[in-house]
Amino acid sequence: MLGFSKSKNVVLKGIVAIAFIYFFGLMLKITSDYIPVSSNVSFLMIKQTEVASRPEYLSIFYLHVYSSIFALMAGFIAVFFDKNLKYLHRFSGRIYVFTTLLFSALSGVYIGIFANGGLLSKVSFVLLGILWFYTTYRSYKEIRKRNILQHKFWMWRSYALALSAITLRMWKVILVYLFHPNPMDVYQIIAWLGWVPNLLLVEYIIKKQKR
Amino acid sequence: MKNLNLIFASLILTFVVISCKKEEKSSEQIKTDSLTSKKEVEQEFHKEWYGIYTGDFNSKPTPTEYGNEILEYKKISVKINRITKDSVYGYSVVNGNQRSFRGIMNENTVGFVLDEPGSDKSDGRFQLKLKEDSLIGDWIAFNKSSVKSPEKTLKLTRKEFAYNPNFMLSKDTSGESDYENPVDWNGGKVKKNSFVNDEGKTETYENTFYRSASDNVFKINASKQKLTERDLKNLRKLDLQIIRNTVFARHGYSFKKETYRQFFENADWYVPVSNNVDSELSPLEKENVALLARLEKYAEDHYDTFGR
Repeated sequence: MLGFSKSKNVVLKGIVAIAFIYFFGLMLKITSDYIPVSSNVSFLMIKQTEVASRPEYLSIFYLHVYSSIFALMAGFIAVFFDKNLKYLHRFSGRIYVFTTLLFSALSGVYIGIFANGGLLSKVSFVLLGILWFYTTYRSYKEIRKRNILQHKFWMWRSYALALSAITLRMWKVILVYLFHPNPMDVYQIIAWLGWVPNLLLVEYIIKKQKR
Repeated sequence: MKNLNLIFASLILTFVVISCKKEEKSSEQIKTDSLTSKKEVEQEFHKEWYGIYTGDFNSKPTPTEYGNEILEYKKISVKINRITKDSVYGYSVVNGNQRSFRGIMNENTVGFVLDEPGSDKSDGRFQLKLKEDSLIGDWIAFNKSSVKSPEKTLKLTRKEFAYNPNFMLSKDTSGESDYENPVDWNGGKVKKNSFVNDEGKTETYENTFYRSASDNVFKINASKQKLTERDLKNLRKLDLQIIRNTVFARHGYSFKKETYRQFFENADWYVPVSNNVDSELSPLEKENVALLARLEKYAEDHYDTFGR
């Protein structure tokens, strides 16, 4: 994965796995706030305008919440076991591609249209959703053509965007701790900080690999 | 003849029934008459003294090694509801604790002796004198060992209470405070910092941070405008708390929490008169209060945590 020398690679993989399990645990906890389904729990507490005025909002929101947690897990397994455990790679990869394309990305675009923080964050979340859909779709297309390297690169891009679920929330904790900004001011910033650096980092790694 | 007799008998019967009713009525009349006359006996005096007196309720200065010191500063409102020939009725409110009292008045000295019911450990006796618009005196707890300050002094002035939705907090431009906006001096958070001193040793020091409100608390009025999520989403928790509680302050609510008291006690329009004003809120205020409370809950649970 990501091409380092072998001994370094094992240590790095261990660290990455532990970090992912920790943050995935936090994401599970956030998701569990939405069980059972409620119209005014957690994030929905400040989304009652949309819940009341748009009958489809709640179902699409829940589609995003419940599907994305599977995409996050399946995507990690697929990227993590990219060379060994072929069966597991293919199984989790299929789950990731289908949940992302059918449920998570498009529902993400929809709720992005009604995002908090005004136009600035709306543009960011809609763009994120579209890019997530596109990169996932490209990666799927490449593997159908047995083009493994391009499949790998596009999947890295796709999963870097999926990981914005975690990085966005990490940035929020850091920015609030440091600057105590108003809630929607920080939201506009993390809307972009959540995925743009992820994508830049992945492009840098891809460039290094190509050499 | 038999028939006639029957008619006669029934006539008598009806007469008896009617007269009976009449009698009942007249006895009722008497009853109510006696009630009104009793009320007339309970004549009220000095209605001009009825009203709300509000001001300082401080512990008596106690000698310490640094001289006399006042240990407790509080605000009290005393409301006189009724003065009859032999009794004075009303209640006091301190920090959301509302206690009725009953007592006597000395008409020559215009002095009052007012006793709280005694069912609460912090009940006691007021001895007050009325001089023009001020009510001055002291309070002594019935059970001196059950309260922090068993003896207190009162310096109250008469204030009219009338609800007005236009009342707002305003910037403190008196220069008495370094801060123009409300600061929550009650809820400081201690943060530890460390630095390396000249000798290369690490020293730690503590800083206490206090929350301060934004200008929104002077602008957003939850008693007049219908608020939306959009209006409030970008506000911090303290702003939401102040905007919500300004509604209650306008209705004369006596706050139990120090956090809220500190913001309103210096506002000239704030007159605490009751420990429950829920029924006074307008439908608009009720809606806004519910919305603000929801956003406060969200801010509390989510502002600085891993999440949205």
